[in-house]
Amino acid sequence: MNQRASEPLLESAFLRQLDRLALVLRRPMAGDIQGERRSPRRGSSVEFADFRPYARGDDIRQIDWNLYARAERFYLKLFVAEEELNVHLLVDTSASMDWGAPNKLHYARELAAAYGYIALANLDRVSVTAFGAGPGALQLPGVRGKRGAVPLFAFLQRLQPGKHGDLAQACHRYIQSARATGPLLLCSDLLDAGWKDALSALASRPFEITVMHILAPQELEPDLEGDLKLIDVESGAPVEISANLDLMRRYKAHLAAWRGEIESFCNGRGIIYVPVDTSVPVEEFVLGRMRRRGVLR
Amino acid sequence: MSLITPLALLAAAIVGPFIVAMYLLKLRREERTVSSTFLWQRMVRDVEANAPWQKLRRNLLLLLQLLLMLLLVLALARPYLAAQGISGRNLIIIIDHSASMGATDEPPTRLHAARERAYQLIDQLPDGGRATVIATGGRMEVPAAATSDRRELRRAVERIQLSNGGSSDLSQALTLAAALAAREEDSEVAIISDGNVTLPTNLRVPARVSYFPVGRATENMAVSAIALQPGTTGQTLFVQVTNYGQASATHRLDLYLDGAIFNAYNLTIEAGRDQSLIIELPPQVEVVEARLDGADAMPADDRAFAVSPATEATTVRLVTAGNRFLETGLSLLPGLNVVTVPAATTTFTETVAQVPVTILDGVALPELPPGNLLFINPLRSTAYFSVTGTIEFPQVRPASGEDPMLRNVSLSEVSVLKAARIVPGNWGRVAVLSFDLHESDLPLQIAFPLLLSNLMNFLAPGSGAEAAQLTPSQPLSRQMDATITEVRVTRPDGRTVSSRSGEVQIQAGQAIYADTDALGIYTVEELVGDSVVGRHRYAVNLFAPGESRIATQRDLSIPQTSGASSTVSRERDSRQEFWRLVALIALIVLLVEWLVYQRNGLAYLRERWRQRAGDRQSPLRS
Repeated sequence: MNQRASEPLLESAFLRQLDRLALVLRRPMAGDIQGERRSPRRGSSVEFADFRPYARGDDIRQIDWNLYARAERFYLKLFVAEEELNVHLLVDTSASMDWGAPNKLHYARELAAAYGYIALANLDRVSVTAFGAGPGALQLPGVRGKRGAVPLFAFLQRLQPGKHGDLAQACHRYIQSARATGPLLLCSDLLDAGWKDALSALASRPFEITVMHILAPQELEPDLEGDLKLIDVESGAPVEISANLDLMRRYKAHLAAWRGEIESFCNGRGIIYVPVDTSVPVEEFVLGRMRRRGVLR
Repeated sequence: MSLITPLALLAAAIVGPFIVAMYLLKLRREERTVSSTFLWQRMVRDVEANAPWQKLRRNLLLLLQLLLMLLLVLALARPYLAAQGISGRNLIIIIDHSASMGATDEPPTRLHAARERAYQLIDQLPDGGRATVIATGGRMEVPAAATSDRRELRRAVERIQLSNGGSSDLSQALTLAAALAAREEDSEVAIISDGNVTLPTNLRVPARVSYFPVGRATENMAVSAIALQPGTTGQTLFVQVTNYGQASATHRLDLYLDGAIFNAYNLTIEAGRDQSLIIELPPQVEVVEARLDGADAMPADDRAFAVSPATEATTVRLVTAGNRFLETGLSLLPGLNVVTVPAATTTFTETVAQVPVTILDGVALPELPPGNLLFINPLRSTAYFSVTGTIEFPQVRPASGEDPMLRNVSLSEVSVLKAARIVPGNWGRVAVLSFDLHESDLPLQIAFPLLLSNLMNFLAPGSGAEAAQLTPSQPLSRQMDATITEVRVTRPDGRTVSSRSGEVQIQAGQAIYADTDALGIYTVEELVGDSVVGRHRYAVNLFAPGESRIATQRDLSIPQTSGASSTVSRERDSRQEFWRLVALIALIVLLVEWLVYQRNGLAYLRERWRQRAGDRQSPLRS
């Protein structure tokens, strides 16, 4: 949204509230460099992890002498490694996202910014990938630390809606190219016939995936009446309908069934599914619902 | 079905394509951009499964509009059905409301059927047409005269009630109708009757006359006469039952004495025949009712009443120089006490109550006696009439209509030598035989005692055996003493009317009650102050063979100016327009079209209402 480009993406008061939040991880994730997150690896921290019999070549500084006094054998004391996280933000910028009031793409930007900011505040590495604008995806390679918030926000604000995006293809490509796994936030409306492919492609690597299923209130409760020709903003394909209360009721039932289908699909693959209604202010959503859903804490 | 203005259908050819064209233009749907048709496409796939119906629904509005247009165009074309009825613009409806119209073969009665027919005719009246309603049979009434207000006409027809009195004489009504029809072009006379009517012979109606017969039944049995006479030890009842139908029939005749059943007789009577019963009854019986049992198309004539005749005799003064015929005739009449006075008498001291009737036979008195008078062969003019000369060999002819004085009297063979030429003047209750009985063969004929009886009934009402029997609508009159302060009449329906309210009139020593249309027993009570001093019963019976013959005539022969005399109405005569009905259907279609157009809103309202009902219930559940 161009008119918003000059405004800050997130209010400073909101950012202060975000400082108190952290990402929830269900399991340790390996990172590249030392950070503040528990890693599956053993390393140097103050947190005890395990004992291991000494093997030749080990650092003798790590031998636990108290245990040697008791057992007369050499044991190494191991500590949990604390490393940074690689947080992946995937933003769908296909034309269908640039729709609705409040705008879905803008909402996706704000969600990504908030999530990314929380990760940066916890000294994690955040990378953003926007797809939807043609075959080439727009990428922000990892930024780290609170200083990285500036390029992150700038990148998100620069995002422009593309034309027709193939969600499944973009996800496949991303999985193949992503180096390290980590928390992955997908902001999309999933209004694509290939949403199943896309989600299963993401789930094929051990990311901790959270799907932000963003829909505008106009999609949840369409305010249509009379004989209409609906034009798809992406493909331009028309659908003729005679909108009446019965059709609306069936549409809503259909929509609910579709969302239920996505949710059960996600549950089956360990993906956290968060339905998003853009009419809910983003602050309320992040501070309230995302914490309740166990995405943040 | 035919159309009056078929050219109006051209409008359909113009408006129809216009509507279709507008609809086709409207079919270009409004375009609306949505984020994705992904969900809609899946929905539409479901919808297309029942595509034909869907297509029709989409066109429902168009179809309704076309239907509406067609209906309106049809209404404009003024469709009509050829119907039996009338075509004139000035309609004169003659409805027979005589007793025979009370037959129940057209449930509930023939009069109802006649009213329905009259409503139909009123509905068929062309726009701007006028109608007159004449009720005939009994007293003729004109409840609605030359009005185009259909509601008023319907009300007028609705107000017509059955009349037991009088005969079904169409002469008067047809004469009036002819006069009305002559005034205006395109007139038509509609007669709604069962056809048992007397028709005028010398009338030519200057309009088309249509006759609408009412009624189906032909079989009817009636009590045609009843009389109760004092006998030597008790009383003698005479009952005559006549079969007016066209087939032999068996009915039971029940006799009720003072309300309690006395006996029953099975009577089998051939068509057109009668059967008489003579039954001895105890002397104390006051009221006898004869009732024919069994379902009969005409219930009115199945019951007859007789009352025990008044015991006290009426005194009749006969002023004569000697008349054997008259004296013998009078002495045969029951309930009469004849006092013969010499012709030379000139002063009379008795009051009216003592001597109510005086017969002046060929005498000329300087001062007429009080009371009712019968003049026979008057010699000179009196206060009531003038004698202007004599007529040699006068023709004796009964007056038209059924004069009660000439009831059962046949005058066809009476010859008179010489009669006084009389100019009627100020009539009171006065009768005049303008000839000397000795100069006529009337006393030698059966007509004489009958005429004398009728005359006595007329002049001295309330006397004799016949007096206690009245025909419907015949005024009940009774000589009164001057001391009587109030007269009360209890009608057969139980209602009591009194001279205080003016419904019973007391005039010149006579109490008169005229509303005797209902059949049954009327009880007259004479009161002095608050005490009843006299009680007399009168029976009103429908003894009218003309009414009891209920078989419907299919045609009436009434000469019309067109030369025709048949009055059977023909099928093509009338145009029953029904554009109002078509317009009403169009209105309904318009409403349906609007509802279909607004169906979303309606469904929304229904949803809201259901939700609210649900909200109202849920607190109860919790």
